[in-house]
Amino acid sequence: MTVLLAALFLLVALSGTGVVLTREPRRQVFALAVNGTVLTLLFFALQAPDVALSELAVGTAATPLLFLVTLAAVRISRQR
Amino acid sequence: MNRRWRIALLGLAGICLTPAIWRVATALPRFGEPSEQYGPAVNRLGPALRHVSNMVSAVNFDFRGIDTLGEEFMLLGAITGAVVLLRGARGEDLTAKAARLPGRQVIGRAESTILICRLFSPAIMLFGLYMALHAMVTPGGGFQGGVVIASGLLLTYLGEGYRGWRRLIASPVLAALEGGGALLFALAGLAPMAAGGAFMQNVLPLGTFRDVFSGGLMLVTNAGVGLAVTGGFGMLFLEFLEETRATQSEDTR
Repeated sequence: MTVLLAALFLLVALSGTGVVLTREPRRQVFALAVNGTVLTLLFFALQAPDVALSELAVGTAATPLLFLVTLAAVRISRQR
Repeated sequence: MNRRWRIALLGLAGICLTPAIWRVATALPRFGEPSEQYGPAVNRLGPALRHVSNMVSAVNFDFRGIDTLGEEFMLLGAITGAVVLLRGARGEDLTAKAARLPGRQVIGRAESTILICRLFSPAIMLFGLYMALHAMVTPGGGFQGGVVIASGLLLTYLGEGYRGWRRLIASPVLAALEGGGALLFALAGLAPMAAGGAFMQNVLPLGTFRDVFSGGLMLVTNAGVGLAVTGGFGMLFLEFLEETRATQSEDTR
């Protein structure tokens, strides 16, 4: 295992732990997006570009957006 | 159950499971040394049998095409479920105005944001199209291309705001893409049967190796996935963003 892979695995573990330890939902969404980005880099380094592309679009754009919208919708309907 | 009991239970479970975890972990193949024969076999046979250079596409759209058909309809079912649950919850009228929390400062979009979104949104969609079209030769494919196109749509939302976005995105078009893509995939499976072959048998001419239009029937199934994923994710974004708009009553208030 190269230094690059070891560093990326460590980053994945750190950012994943960051997602769990972030308690404020909106910040947690961004922590999740960071985790998705790091996972994308890991998949790319492991020579799985197809998976990396899916993870990049779904993990860092689609899923965080859906969470953010859900949080906004909760706030809007609570105010009503 | 208080905190001490929970920690005790966690420790007990850990002690009980450790031997099993250890046994499985030490029996795993070493990192970077796959023992599976499937991958090398596909890499050896794929170019000769299907004339494509992206083996992931060959597996997804041909060798294990029936699995992808199942996933395709899983996506269709999930999107349909989300649309059924969300649509109409905030009214059907197209007031197209984002809801605002009272007392919250409204910060307009910076011109640089609008510029960057207008520049990059079409470029990203074009890149998604490129990725979907080149499924047979380079990494990516219908799913990745479709998701990238959909994220380009999101950038349009960031740049134009809810009102402009709502005006640009037509939900019937997205629905037609989603359903039409899934239908195209199913038809690509059924058509060879009408010609006397097996389900999803690759009856079309395979083309030349490393050419964009190689792979025969895979081109059709890939296009089906690309259309369905573009429409499906676009639909999902639209229905979710609908949740943040103001209803008619708030608008007139």
